[in-house]
Amino acid sequence: MYGFISWLESTGFSTALRNTTWVWPTCESIHFVGLTMLVGAAVFFDWRLMGFMRQGPIAAAKAFMPYGIAGFALNLVTGTLFFVMRPSLYAFSAAWWAKMFFIVLAGLNAMLFETTLGARVLTLGRGEAPPASFKIVGCVSLLSWFAVLYFGRMLPYIGTGN
Amino acid sequence: MLQGLQDSAFSLWVVGSDSLWAYPTILTLHTVGLAVIVGAAFVIDLRVLGVGRDIPLPQMRKAFGVFWTGFAINLASGLVLFAVDAVHKAGQPVFLVKLVLIAMAITITARIRRIAFGKTADATPPPGAARSLAAASLALWAGAIVAGRLMAYL
Repeated sequence: MYGFISWLESTGFSTALRNTTWVWPTCESIHFVGLTMLVGAAVFFDWRLMGFMRQGPIAAAKAFMPYGIAGFALNLVTGTLFFVMRPSLYAFSAAWWAKMFFIVLAGLNAMLFETTLGARVLTLGRGEAPPASFKIVGCVSLLSWFAVLYFGRMLPYIGTGN
Repeated sequence: MLQGLQDSAFSLWVVGSDSLWAYPTILTLHTVGLAVIVGAAFVIDLRVLGVGRDIPLPQMRKAFGVFWTGFAINLASGLVLFAVDAVHKAGQPVFLVKLVLIAMAITITARIRRIAFGKTADATPPPGAARSLAAASLALWAGAIVAGRLMAYL
């Protein structure tokens, strides 16, 4: 892995981006706007899955998700650019690996939900208590996204590998 | 006074301590609070603009409680972050811009609460004025986030 990291850091693309002063602050600004979109929409849906705001149809709460996914897309692009610019900062950071772990966990949790429970969601009536499986999926998602925030922001301070 | 704030025993502990519970945790709380405030505002504004319109407006009043909880976290953590670097931050134009944008965004959110989520709110679409306010709120929050982030650079 070390070879890949040092190769990536030495590419012309990485160097040029790194040496353009406005790129990093611009990506950070977009990354922070994106996180509010993602967390806002995802936590809202998780909250509904856990059984809050039951008078609102669950399908309507799900209508916010494309906006959350748009936030995720912004952050995937800007996050990839951060990695390309300074791969050694991230690849050897325990906090970055923890952050990636929770992103993957949230993603797998969402995929599991979509493939196994997704259809059942739409049949849940107004005011009806969600089954335990919905609550667990919602809770895992909510906690994962806050863990992603935590390890992302703590990245400069935890396990920087030097 | 700003210098005194910055040199207080508390400020010196926050920036001087090696503990993860000092500066890093306060900074992280500020980011978590940001996600809570703006995440809640994002959902409220989208609902006013017509997303998830089958959710009755009164059902979403709880989102304003979440919004104010996030605001409390960020007011508290923000005061500490200001105190430890008071002289520098007080002189940063981008910090003033951030505060003005936040004040405007909060005023607008409170107004949206009154006109679209008040006692008479039902499943009917929110009034047109609320839609314009919701669009302004989204833009103001994005602006406040960008201004906040650029404080590290300008």
